[in-house]
Amino acid sequence: MVKYLFKRLLQGLVSVVIVVACVMVMIYSLMDRTLIFAKDTNYSHQSNNQKVAYRYEKWETYGYLDYVTYADYLNDLTVKGEIDEDTRSSAVSIGRKAKKDSDLVKEYVQKFTDFYESKGYTVIRLDAVMMNKKKYAAGGQQQLFAYKNIPLTTRLAKYFSNLITVESIHDVPEVEGERGISFTLHDPVYGGEKFSPAIIGNGTTHKYLLYFDNKFPYIHQNIIEINLGKSYSVNEGIDVATTMSRAQGSFLKSEITYPSGLTENSADDLHTATYLKDSREASMVNETRFVDDYTNVDTVKAGKSKIGYSFTIGIIAVILSYVLAIPLGILMARKKDKLIDQIGTLYIVFIIAVPSLAYIFLFKAIGGSMGLPTTFDMESSSKLMYILPIISLALPQVANLMKWLRRYMIDQMNSDYVKFARSGGLTENEIFTKHILKNAAIPIVQGVPASVLGALIGAIITERVYVVPGAGNLLTEAINQYDNGVIVGVTLFYALLSVLAIILGDILMSMVDPRISFSTKDR
Amino acid sequence: MNYDLDKYGLSKEELFARVDHSSLESEKITAPRYSYWHSVFRVFFKKKINIVILILLGVILLMTYGYPLLVEYDRYTNLLSSAAKHLSPSKALKEMGMSIHWILGSGASGQSTFDALWTGARISVSLAFVCALINMTVGVVIGALWGFSKKFDTFMMALYNIIGNIPYVLLISVLVMLFTPSFWTMVFALTVTGWLTIAYFIRTQVIIIRDREYNLASKCLGTSIFRIALKNILPFMTSVIVTLAATEIPSYISYEVFLAYIGMGLSDMSLGRLIYEAEGAMLTPGWGFEFWSPVAVASIITIVLYVVGQNLGDASDPRTHM
Repeated sequence: MVKYLFKRLLQGLVSVVIVVACVMVMIYSLMDRTLIFAKDTNYSHQSNNQKVAYRYEKWETYGYLDYVTYADYLNDLTVKGEIDEDTRSSAVSIGRKAKKDSDLVKEYVQKFTDFYESKGYTVIRLDAVMMNKKKYAAGGQQQLFAYKNIPLTTRLAKYFSNLITVESIHDVPEVEGERGISFTLHDPVYGGEKFSPAIIGNGTTHKYLLYFDNKFPYIHQNIIEINLGKSYSVNEGIDVATTMSRAQGSFLKSEITYPSGLTENSADDLHTATYLKDSREASMVNETRFVDDYTNVDTVKAGKSKIGYSFTIGIIAVILSYVLAIPLGILMARKKDKLIDQIGTLYIVFIIAVPSLAYIFLFKAIGGSMGLPTTFDMESSSKLMYILPIISLALPQVANLMKWLRRYMIDQMNSDYVKFARSGGLTENEIFTKHILKNAAIPIVQGVPASVLGALIGAIITERVYVVPGAGNLLTEAINQYDNGVIVGVTLFYALLSVLAIILGDILMSMVDPRISFSTKDR
Repeated sequence: MNYDLDKYGLSKEELFARVDHSSLESEKITAPRYSYWHSVFRVFFKKKINIVILILLGVILLMTYGYPLLVEYDRYTNLLSSAAKHLSPSKALKEMGMSIHWILGSGASGQSTFDALWTGARISVSLAFVCALINMTVGVVIGALWGFSKKFDTFMMALYNIIGNIPYVLLISVLVMLFTPSFWTMVFALTVTGWLTIAYFIRTQVIIIRDREYNLASKCLGTSIFRIALKNILPFMTSVIVTLAATEIPSYISYEVFLAYIGMGLSDMSLGRLIYEAEGAMLTPGWGFEFWSPVAVASIITIVLYVVGQNLGDASDPRTHM
């Protein structure tokens, strides 16, 4: 059993890697790269060589290619100590045309060209565009740079090797005091007197590696970090995993004591402190608050995270749909072809045939006329706003579950064991709930993990219609803004969940039905 | 035993009559003639509701394909007259004169909602039919092969496991993003992996029937695999295929509406795009018709197609022909 599941998991992970590779090929190789400039006003305002350079620069940020300018190359050499500052400043000024270069410049341009061409880069030199003999045209300055498209294998390897990062005490280049990890029973964030164990690192990226607080799940860690991919336009510079799991809404202020002893009414969450080099020198505020350079803190916010909202709504809808659909499905099968079955079938046809958008709007209109809030508001404490999104998600699921449960139960009703049970004198109630349901529920049970994990993904239409700040919209938003990092990250997340859901479904099914076995010995 | 035959009105001679043996007559089968498709339609039309729905479907198809031919639809004819925008049906009829164009009011740029509706419906319904045709054909053929060949099965299962993990929304939207969202791009996006689920469904059905005794017998008698597939299995699958088509066609209309709503729809006017563009009008008093009429038409089309398909599927199951 374990061996089989391990094999399945491995196969699943392989298919996840292939899926990510497919998506990478689609967005990085097949897509027209100039599309990302469609809404970019900076781009349309530029002209000539500057526009070309800007294009490559953007492509680098969006992860299409590796782009190095001649000036960067010289800077690099200076940092390494191969050339001195004077040589750099005279070598950097290339001529308007290659012919006009001085000897020194020629030498370094040649070096630059040789170095990058040997690494498979394409070197491009754009001659100056002139208005007249002395004046450059707008953006017409000469340019010299090298670029190389990132091959799929490199991209994949880089992506998966950066997926999980583990904190180490050598993460930060320079740190005050001794590098190391210390354990305390009295977390300094709570004033150092309250009992609260914490692990604190010095030299690590995060200061607090393990700590307790009053928020679910009460124990938190910063040791292992998951990086699904950096966002460029949806949530600039922030990782997808953070975008999905970070709290939203207004700041939640409270009385907090900073490491320096300063007490202030602030929303800063000191547990999230990360290292920021020279941050105390740069800012007076940090100087008065902190005693080390772990000053980059997140804020405490009143709302839930994107996944939090999606999951709350989704999971309640899932529970509600199972609670409603199972008795209704049984009832429909028992009263086959009677009025209740016909009404149920009508409802199922309605849900299958009508576009989901249409009935969600219908539920919204009906709910609105009953006085329920139709838009979601993070600041409101009212729980009423959850009702309509939950109903909109649950009702289609009810129809789907009912449809299959009825089908499976009717198929089971003609089985010999049912006739035998009936001849044995069991009541219809007993036959349906104890005998038929147990057999008919097996395929239904397999779908439970998928619907629970599906609640994490969020629902695109429902969340949009009710303005829920959930995770469902992230993918469409990323696609609309050509945010490649987010698209890849979200794909990986979806694919992992679906692989996991299928495997968990099979495990659950074999637990419910002892006849199903996955170990080869029993077969 | 002595029966009083007179009581039954029978003479002694009538009890038995000798019939001569005829080798030709003995070969005759006296069961009523059975024609498959004849029986399908007999069962289908026995339900009176089917006739009503079929007429409704006819009217809708006539409107979708016929009406746009008669009317030249231009969105921006009334763009400059501010009095023509966002009119309710009664106001529009009063304002623009009694005409069929204005029975559903007018939209954001003063266009006739009724005209826009059928122009959009033509694109949406065509998209659904074309996608269903491609997916069903490819899906059924590949599914049949998949069910028969063991080697092909391992390969296809691996493919299915990989492609099944790509979220459908992601795939479609990335494809729409890659190309300009025209009609044929949308067809491509909806069919590039859409056939796979159908093929998988057909494969399961084929495997169930493949190893039945009558097929085994047929194989032992030397029937070729191709003939078994065509003559033994395909007739069995007809009702399954028709039922599948009944859920497939409306689902493409739903998909189109959904994609348009998330902003990845067609650039042509379609039902989905109409709904997407009129979303803001939903809650504005007096503008409701702009939003609810495409929603209603999309729903009616999908429901009618679904019900016709389901009932045709039921009728094409030979077990209902008794």
